[in-house]
Amino acid sequence: MSYIRVPTALRAYTDGQIEVPTEAATVGGALQELADRYPGLAPHLFGAEGKLRPYVNLFVNDQDVRALAGVHTPLAESDQLMILPSVAGGRRMSTPLKAVDHSALKTSMAVRLGFLLAIFITDQSWLVPILAALMLIGTARGKPEFTFGYRALRRANWISPELIQDNPEPHRFALGVGGTFLAGATLAFGSGSPALGWVLTWIVIALVGLNLFGGFCVGCAVYYWSSRVGVPGFSKAPPPGVFPGRRPG
Amino acid sequence: MSLRIASQLMAEIRRHAEQRYPEEGAGLILGSLDGEDRNAHAVLPVNNRFEAKQRGRRYLIDPKDILSAEEEAERQGLTVLGVFHSHPDHPPTPSKFDADWAVPWYIYLITTVRQGIAEQTRAWRLQEDHAQMVEEQLAIEQESR
Repeated sequence: MSYIRVPTALRAYTDGQIEVPTEAATVGGALQELADRYPGLAPHLFGAEGKLRPYVNLFVNDQDVRALAGVHTPLAESDQLMILPSVAGGRRMSTPLKAVDHSALKTSMAVRLGFLLAIFITDQSWLVPILAALMLIGTARGKPEFTFGYRALRRANWISPELIQDNPEPHRFALGVGGTFLAGATLAFGSGSPALGWVLTWIVIALVGLNLFGGFCVGCAVYYWSSRVGVPGFSKAPPPGVFPGRRPG
Repeated sequence: MSLRIASQLMAEIRRHAEQRYPEEGAGLILGSLDGEDRNAHAVLPVNNRFEAKQRGRRYLIDPKDILSAEEEAERQGLTVLGVFHSHPDHPPTPSKFDADWAVPWYIYLITTVRQGIAEQTRAWRLQEDHAQMVEEQLAIEQESR
């Protein structure tokens, strides 16, 4: 007679029995005998089409039956057949990151920053709505507003791409936030509140500067925090190990 | 069914999850049965045996580690009650992979670790028909048991 050792997790289905004797000649026969004796256990050993559940591991006297003859492995007198679960799991697959060209983002930010500073220095507030429109169109297209300049610099070999595994959505959101602030500034200038217009413009200047020189994208951080609290439409998590808003890589 | 666990043990689970970040950390919960309820008495962190490249989103506890834990539990007059593992930068809810591989009867604690800091932990158990994992009550108690 040989013995089947039942793991803790399955003892609830064998009336608490730790060892169950068997007269079966093979591992498969012993399992079937066990399932017949304890019908409540059967669905936890066998899944669809009678296949063993993925977590079920079988050892005969400490030897994995996969290295022997599987369920056809013979059982001799006083052999011990051990059923042991292997426990596995893991998080949901996240949508894969994409190669985001941070060189294109930085070039666009540098042009945007220069443009905004020039507008302020020369006091040409009528140019603010043009930049606001370019940024909002860029947001709608999912591309930074000055990609044409970037392409020209690339062709002239003045600049090379910097592809980083990242989420493009937060950068698009940040561009939209900047465009919205400048649209607000446009309304302020148009309604005779230049001070408010310049304050909104300077907020954009500061955030673009922080992103360009400090590597921290406030709009991206807002996107990730919104995703974290479950705001609809914000679904991406930062790349693993990257603080929300920090430039990865 | 509920799992009662002392805050010190919970802190140990969270610390292990943070130490293993950005990989998934895992281990076993040892304890006793109290009718339908379970009381955790010890936690046993184990190595994640999944292939190294995938450890950021997968964990595997070797059957031999389960056997050692069962033997350790028996020496202490305890039972292996279930498993804890972490979800780096993901919510503490079971994935389809978690449910496909879940062992019946075990309780599963899942802890979110965000940017290296452990956040929420929730308890789950495989439904008897294996269709899905259902949430169980997790009672964290201040005094040591």
